[in-house]
Amino acid sequence: MPDAAHARPKATLFLKDISMGSSDMLRQALERAAVPGVLSDGTPVRMLAHGAAAAIARQSGASLRQAEIAALELGLVPERYLRNFATLDCAGQARLLRARVALVGLGGLGGHILEGLARMGVGHIRIADHDVFEATNLNRQLLATQAELGMPKADAAARRVAQVNPAVELDVWRDRLEGQDFARFYAGVDVAVDALGGVAFRPVAEAGAAAAGAPLIAASVAGWTAMVATALPGERGLAGTFFPNGRSAATPAEDVLGCQPPALLVAAGLVLSEAVRLALGQPPRLGGPHGRMAVVDLSSVSLDRLSLRG
Amino acid sequence: MHITVKCYATLQRFQPEDGEEFSPPGGGTVHDVVLALGIAPEDVAVIFVNGLHAPMDKALAEGDRLGLFPAVGGG
Repeated sequence: MPDAAHARPKATLFLKDISMGSSDMLRQALERAAVPGVLSDGTPVRMLAHGAAAAIARQSGASLRQAEIAALELGLVPERYLRNFATLDCAGQARLLRARVALVGLGGLGGHILEGLARMGVGHIRIADHDVFEATNLNRQLLATQAELGMPKADAAARRVAQVNPAVELDVWRDRLEGQDFARFYAGVDVAVDALGGVAFRPVAEAGAAAAGAPLIAASVAGWTAMVATALPGERGLAGTFFPNGRSAATPAEDVLGCQPPALLVAAGLVLSEAVRLALGQPPRLGGPHGRMAVVDLSSVSLDRLSLRG
Repeated sequence: MHITVKCYATLQRFQPEDGEEFSPPGGGTVHDVVLALGIAPEDVAVIFVNGLHAPMDKALAEGDRLGLFPAVGGG
């Protein structure tokens, strides 16, 4: 970006000139940029107009994510997050920007989940998919476009996140994850997500999240049925329940019914709500000691809450 | 004995019309009900009774809610 290229040397000079802590400088610049804003219900807030945090980040040498966190800690809401309020407050939004979520699978579920995580403002997102787009993905996958056919899903995901929310620091894994890879992939994250398509790698993903000590939110879909469950480390999750031998004994329902956007979007919404809860330090509702799996059947429009504990 | 039966995804085609007030004709286990519905037991991946994960040989009681799932792993 040409702007960044010529802004950076000036910022360095400025830092040397005033010999002040860069975080103080960052805060002062953010305060100077604050403008009055209002939430939809008329509540006044102090806001940073879109682009202000990015410009200040460039000048101060901070990352955009760090600049947004610093702004929120001063009670300044970056304009892009205004509609996250008051479901989130400044502390909650800052906490999301510090959170780490790892998501495997960038297909029907993963594309929508990644989109939601980026728009909510989850600051660190690790993604993995080794696959390329095929024409059969076009019926449901957010990242699949005709122009992307034959192109890696991970590359499309990285471009999309950069376009949607450049504050997100994305860690892209392009290799196929197998066995022990999942424990490395999920290491150090607040929330692990299994958005894999098909049965094959779900059991090892669940084992990997447990080994990494990360709560795992897993979703699966077939036709008009969507199900989402959270497994805390040591608990049996969706994969352990549905595929206790590590594979499916019978033809899985998605091979008969396919996967379509209505159930995928419901599942993605359930995953996102749970991911935000966990990232904010709240207890899970789709697993854990007091939570239960959610199953939505869109053909009868029913919601069932089922316990995997037995 | 009357129970509530809900069959999900590919098993939905076996959903009885009287699923809210189903009277299993045979014995009283999940396995008996599965057979009575015409479902091959190997096609049932997961069973819930009253919202709790349950085994195929679980005995059912009046008013129980039975949920039958095939393997589901799509995304």
